[in-house]
Amino acid sequence: MNEPLFELEGVSRFYRRGESIVRAVDGIDLTIGAGEFVALEGPSGSGKTTLLQLLGTLDRPDAGTIVFEGRPLHTLDDRALAGLRLNAFGFVFQQFNLIPTLTALENVQAALAPHGVRGHALDERAGALLEEVGLAARVDHLPTHLSGGEQQRVAIARALANEPRVILADEPTGNLDTKTGADVIDLLAGLGERHGTTIVVATHDATLAARAPRRVAMRDGAVVQPEMAV
Amino acid sequence: MFYARYVLRELSRRRVRTLLTVAGLGLGVALVITISGLSRGLDRAQRTALDPLSGIGTDLTVTRGVQTDNKGFGGGGPGGGGSFRDVIQSNQSVLTDLSKLGKPGQHFVHDFFLPGTQLTFPTSQGATVSKLSGVAASAQGLLLIAEHQEGVVPKIVAKFKTGGQTFRVRRTITPLTPAEQQALQKCLEKNGATFGQAPQQQQGRPQGQDGFGGGGGNGSGRRGFFRGAFQKCLSARLRTFIGTFRTPQQTLQQVLDPPQTNIKTTPYTIGGVDQTQPGIGLLTPKQVTKGRYFSVAGGREALVATSYASRQKLKVGSSLDLNGTTFTVIGLVSPPLGGQTADVYLPLKKLQALAHQPGVANVVFVRADKSSSVSRVKSEIAQQLQGAQVATAQDVADRVTGSLVDAANLTHNLGLVLEIIVAAAAFLMAALLTLSSVGKRVRELGTLKAIGWTQRLVVRQVVSESVAQGALGGAVGILLGVVAAIIIGAAGPTLTASSTTGSSSNLLGSAAARTAHETLSLHAPLSVLVVALGLVLALAGGLVAGAAGGLRAARLRPAEAMRRVE
Repeated sequence: MNEPLFELEGVSRFYRRGESIVRAVDGIDLTIGAGEFVALEGPSGSGKTTLLQLLGTLDRPDAGTIVFEGRPLHTLDDRALAGLRLNAFGFVFQQFNLIPTLTALENVQAALAPHGVRGHALDERAGALLEEVGLAARVDHLPTHLSGGEQQRVAIARALANEPRVILADEPTGNLDTKTGADVIDLLAGLGERHGTTIVVATHDATLAARAPRRVAMRDGAVVQPEMAV
Repeated sequence: MFYARYVLRELSRRRVRTLLTVAGLGLGVALVITISGLSRGLDRAQRTALDPLSGIGTDLTVTRGVQTDNKGFGGGGPGGGGSFRDVIQSNQSVLTDLSKLGKPGQHFVHDFFLPGTQLTFPTSQGATVSKLSGVAASAQGLLLIAEHQEGVVPKIVAKFKTGGQTFRVRRTITPLTPAEQQALQKCLEKNGATFGQAPQQQQGRPQGQDGFGGGGGNGSGRRGFFRGAFQKCLSARLRTFIGTFRTPQQTLQQVLDPPQTNIKTTPYTIGGVDQTQPGIGLLTPKQVTKGRYFSVAGGREALVATSYASRQKLKVGSSLDLNGTTFTVIGLVSPPLGGQTADVYLPLKKLQALAHQPGVANVVFVRADKSSSVSRVKSEIAQQLQGAQVATAQDVADRVTGSLVDAANLTHNLGLVLEIIVAAAAFLMAALLTLSSVGKRVRELGTLKAIGWTQRLVVRQVVSESVAQGALGGAVGILLGVVAAIIIGAAGPTLTASSTTGSSSNLLGSAAARTAHETLSLHAPLSVLVVALGLVLALAGGLVAGAAGGLRAARLRPAEAMRRVE
C-alpha cells in the first residue's frame, strides 16, 4: 500500500431516531493509501454514505479518530475543515447536486471561484475541465437541459476543479443506466490514474465495485468480508 | 466576477420568487415614499392655511363680540354697546321693507350690509390701541356681511268682506219708581186722564195695582184721549231706551299668503381696508395674486378674493356695482384663511359710506414691537378695551377646521406609524421569502459547503442576492412612488380648511358668523431625501432579509444537507 492517506481507528457515528439509536458507522478501523481506487460496497443502510461523509469532513465522528495526511481531523475547526474540502477533496453525488440556476461551465466555476480564480482564467480552466469529461459542447447548458450522465460528468469536472487529492463519490452511478454508469466509473478510474488522485466510491452495485482494485465491504455500519456484504 | 454572475443568475432564473420579493419591497417603499410625500404636501398646505396672521403683518386682532351687558369697549358709540339689542340695531338694514325697493312689479338690485355679531365701534376708540406700549403698528378694518338681493318688488293684496250679520238684543225694563208713577199720574191728571177716573166695572180694584198703562178708558172715545195723554206723560227713560242698546264687539281676521316673488339673495362678505397702511390690516399687498393693491388715495377700487372672482366670473378690470356706485376690480387676492377675510375688499371709507356706517370699524389689527411682547400687549388691550376679543395667531389657527386639518392630524398621528408598519410589513415579507428560499435551497447551499465554500462565502452569497433584490425593490418602489406622486399631483385631490369668525347668534342665525373656506389641492412633493430614504429602506430591507436567510444558511451543516440529498 502507498503512503496512508486516511487512517481510521474505532470510528463510530450514531444517530438518534426516535427512542432508538442507529449505529450508522460502528467502530471502523480502516486505512486508505494515497492514489488508491477503493470501492465501498454494501446494501442501502450499510453505512457507506456516512463513512464517506466522515472521510470528506462533512460530518464528525461520535467516537474514534480519523487522521488525514497525518492530521487528526477532530483537532480542526469548521473553517480549517472547509479549507480542507476546498483544497483536498472533490465530491461526486448520486443526484449530481448541480446548482440548477448555473450553466455547466458556471457549476464548475463555482468550485474554482473560492480559490480566487477570476476572469478569463476562470472560463478557461472550467472549459478545460468540461472538455476533459467530454462535455466541451455543452458548457452553456443548464443542468435541466443535460442528461443524467452529462450532469454526472459536470459534477465530476466540478470535483476535479481544485485538483483534489481525494475524490469521494457517493453512488455516482445510482441514477444512471448500466452503460453510462460503467462509463462514469471508467472516467473516474482514468482520471485517478492520470492525476494520481485517490478515489473512494460508495456503491451497492457489486459489478461496479468489482471494477475497483480494492473493495471494502460494509454491513450494518461495520467493515465485513466482501462475501458477507451482500 | 463569478459571485455577481451567480447573484444575477439566481435573480433571473428564480423569477417568481424575485418578482414577489421585489414587488413586496417595492410596494412598501412606494407606500413609504407616497406617505412621506403626502405628509410633506400636507405640511405645506397647513403652513399656507394655518399661518393666517403673519401674511398680514399682524400679531393680534381685536374685535368686539356680543356681551351680556352693554358696558365696556364700543359702548355708546355707533353700533351700540355690545348687547343683543345692539346686534339687532346694527343689523336692522337687513330687514327688508319691500315697499322701499320700489313700486310693485319694478325690478330692483340692492346690497344690504350688516356687521353680524362682530359689532362695530368708533374708529376713534380703536385708534387708542396704537398708543399702548409694545404696539408697533395698528390698523382698523370693517368687515361686513353683505346680502346682494335682486328681483321684482312683489304686490301684496288683502281682500276683506263684512256685513250681512243679524243681532238680537233682549232687555228687561226697570219698573216705574214711585216718584215716576206719581209724576205720571200728576201729568195724566193735568191732561184730564187720571187713574181716579177709571171705568165703573173697575171700582174697588186696589189703586196700587193700577199698573203702567193700566188706566184704560171708558169706551173708544176716552181710550184715544188716554193714549195721547199717556204718551205725553211717559218718562223720558222709557221713551228713548230703544236707541241706547250696544251691539257686541267683533274682530275680523284673515290669513294672507306671502306674495310670490323672484327675489334672489346672494350672500358674500365685504371688507373695508385702511389702504393708507399697506403693511398691516385686513389685506396687504402680499395677498395680491393678480393686479395691484389699492392706491393710497383709495378711489372706487375693489380687490376680490380669487375664489369669489372665480364664482362670479370677475377679473381684473371688471366692474362691480354696489347700490349705484361702480367700483373697478383692480386685483385678485388670496386672503389668509382663519383671519378676518372677505370676498370683496374696498377702501375703508368707501365701505363705511356704502354701508351708512361712517366712522366705525369692527376689527383692529395690531403688530407688537417684538414677539415676546405679544402676550403683554394682549393683556393690555383686554384691560384697556373691556369686553374686547383679542386673538393671537395661535387662536386664529386653532379655529381652522376641515378635511385639511383632519388629514394633517391623521398624518401627524398615524403617518409615522403607517410608514413603520408598511416598511416592517415589506421587510417581513422579504425576510420570509428569503427564508423560504433558503429552506428550498438547503441542498444547493449544502453542496456549496461540500465543495469548499466557507460559511462566510455562503452567507455573503445569500445576503448579496437579498440586497440585490432590495436594490431592485427600491428602484421599483421609487418609480412607483414618483408615479404615485405625479398621479396625486395631476388628480389634485382637494382638501378644505374652514374658519369661522364672529359668533353665531340666535338673533341672527348662522348668517351672523362669517365662515371662510379655503380649498387646497393636495400634492405629494418628493425630495431627494425621501427618495434616498426609500432606497436605503429597500436596501436595509434586503439586508435584514438576507441576514435572516444567511443566519439560517450559516447554521446549515454539510452532513445534514448531504443527508437531505440522500
